[in-house]
Amino acid sequence: MMPLSSVPPGKYRIAEIAGGRNFLMRLSNMGVLRGDIITVIKPAPGPVVIAKGQTRIGIGTGMASRIYVVPQT
Amino acid sequence: MSSRKPDIVVALAGNPNSGKTTIFNGLTGSKQHVGNWPGVTVEKKEGFFQFKGKKIQVVDLPGTYSLSSYTIDEKIARDYLIHEKPDIVVIIADASNLERHLLLFLQIRELGLPVIVVLNMMDVAESRGMKIRVHCLETALKVPVIPTIGNKGIGIDILKEKIVEGVGEQKVKLPYYLGEGFLNILKSIMELLQEEDIDYPPLFFGMKLLEEDPEFLHKVNELSSREKVNCLLEKARSLARMDLGTCITERRFGYLHGIVKECISSIAALHDRIYLSDRIDRILTNRFLGIPLFLLFMFLTFQIVFKFGAPLSELLSTGFDMLGVRFSILLQREGVSPMVISFIRDGLIGGVGSIVSFLPNIFLLFFIIAFFEDTGYMARASFVMDEIMHKMGLHGKSFIPMVLGFGCNVPAILATRTLDTHKDRILTILVNPLISCSARLPIYILFAGIFFPENQGLVIFSLYTLGILLAFIMGNIFKRLFFKGEETHLIMELPPYHMPVIKNILRISWHRSYLFLKKAGTVIFASVIVVWILSSLPPGVEYGSANSYLGRIGQFIAPIFKPAGFGFYQAAVALLAGVMAKEQVVSTLGALFGINLKTALSSVFNPVSAYAFMVMSLIYIPCVATIAAIKQEAGWKWALFTTTYTLILGWLMAVIIYQVGRILFL
Repeated sequence: MMPLSSVPPGKYRIAEIAGGRNFLMRLSNMGVLRGDIITVIKPAPGPVVIAKGQTRIGIGTGMASRIYVVPQT
Repeated sequence: MSSRKPDIVVALAGNPNSGKTTIFNGLTGSKQHVGNWPGVTVEKKEGFFQFKGKKIQVVDLPGTYSLSSYTIDEKIARDYLIHEKPDIVVIIADASNLERHLLLFLQIRELGLPVIVVLNMMDVAESRGMKIRVHCLETALKVPVIPTIGNKGIGIDILKEKIVEGVGEQKVKLPYYLGEGFLNILKSIMELLQEEDIDYPPLFFGMKLLEEDPEFLHKVNELSSREKVNCLLEKARSLARMDLGTCITERRFGYLHGIVKECISSIAALHDRIYLSDRIDRILTNRFLGIPLFLLFMFLTFQIVFKFGAPLSELLSTGFDMLGVRFSILLQREGVSPMVISFIRDGLIGGVGSIVSFLPNIFLLFFIIAFFEDTGYMARASFVMDEIMHKMGLHGKSFIPMVLGFGCNVPAILATRTLDTHKDRILTILVNPLISCSARLPIYILFAGIFFPENQGLVIFSLYTLGILLAFIMGNIFKRLFFKGEETHLIMELPPYHMPVIKNILRISWHRSYLFLKKAGTVIFASVIVVWILSSLPPGVEYGSANSYLGRIGQFIAPIFKPAGFGFYQAAVALLAGVMAKEQVVSTLGALFGINLKTALSSVFNPVSAYAFMVMSLIYIPCVATIAAIKQEAGWKWALFTTTYTLILGWLMAVIIYQVGRILFL
């Protein structure tokens, strides 16, 4: 399990989201939930851009460090 | 158009980037009106269309992902739907992103409002290999579903037809997808809420509680059955065995996932596709290239705004000058008193002219911003700058207003509208006046030219840097003082890049320029008249001289500036006039000292007091147009606060510089 802020581009499963209410809700309202399969399009440093299905979402580095992912093959 | 009341009121709801604007334009054509939502400065778009003899009003709600209370936009959309109860809510969903776009659908249905779902951008979905069975969706969602391609106008007539025809009774189902445990808790909560005096349907209120929406959790305290409700919520929390709100949203998405899976089949394995847009993103948001590219775009923006805007500006102001001269000659011939002529020439025509001559720059600026917004680059720019802005206590999106501030603080403050949270907006507004606007440049040029001829560029650069530095410091101080512990997260959808639509860009930039003219104009205009009156009274005095009211006020306040090295009335009057518009500092000094301004200034100032005066001009009280913009965007309280803190900060800085500089250099 690695924070989203330290992984190279590729496919991952979201294992854990550690954050406050606000953060969790904003992510889940955009359709990003625990267990989802995502693709890292643009890795850190700097903001991380992920793809979930057809959607592209940018996440600030600080926030990305609180999302833990597991690589998918 | 007839002004009769509309027969049907339709609200358009949908996620950002669902193509809502294209549907709105498709329905209403040019019959649109842009205003503000009550109490807030989020743009409210309304329009009308006629169909089969009916008059239909269309209200475009802000783009939101849900009806929770995390952003201003969400609250506006929710309050409108609850209090205004539109006849039909049209929910616009991106056909290729259906799962996520339907979350809003579930929440709006919980309000019990009649709904039509529009599947927009069908062409994109099809080009990405998706096959959507519309009837299947209609059966699953139990509401009419209409496929459209908004930007080509396809499906709009069918939508109009459906709106006029009406959707009939739509029964609200309980959310069975939550599972028995949660459903029973929800039912118990709803029973309790039925007895209460609340503005919301019990189902909606109950679901918001299960989602742990802070605003609704707070409302529980006002209920007579608050203990029972809280007890039930506690039960739900232990049932969730994780964050309750997230658990509920997960179940919602689970349900939607099932529907989408049943009704949409994709041919290609889409999830691994990397599109052209992604490749562009890898360059534009790249660690090393992102910031330089952004700065390049900003530099180009400035070049366009000031290079192309300046000649037009000058043309307009010369035009107004000539108009003033013509008028005064004409009036003189008619034997009108010099007092009235001066009022018309200096006050009315000069005042209006000084506002209107800004218009070309302002319009160009808004045009370029709208261009960046429309292409999708603006969202990326916020990301690129996020880390730097965080050090200022601000947000990635604050960067655009800060950059705009170098041009003019008024549009910069209006541009804070793009920020999502109140806290980020207020902070950005508060420090914005410290960014040195172009109107302050003439002051620096004049003084640096006289007192620092060798290092003119360096001195001017130091002033800009000082402004930025102070913005950093004050941003952090204000954040700690007023918004302790509030942290905002940069999470943003990045819509695919696309070719901008010039018509839309023109529409937006014109509207924003018009707001600038109207709001700033009235205040500048009024204050120009006040200055004119103070400068020309009592009757018979020379305009703006020591004996005029303005001069007397200047003499009264001048001693305050003695510790800063410029305690003479001309400086005080110039600074006073500068509050009207910063350009007036130079023109007022010119009027007070006469033709040999440079010689006169070098006799009353020395290099240290000149620098202190420039620092004062940089920091002290923003111009009235800026104060008016702050009042409009943030309210009187913050406008007064900004005026006060900049005055104190400016005076302190000027005094420190003069006192320290005097010891070191004089």
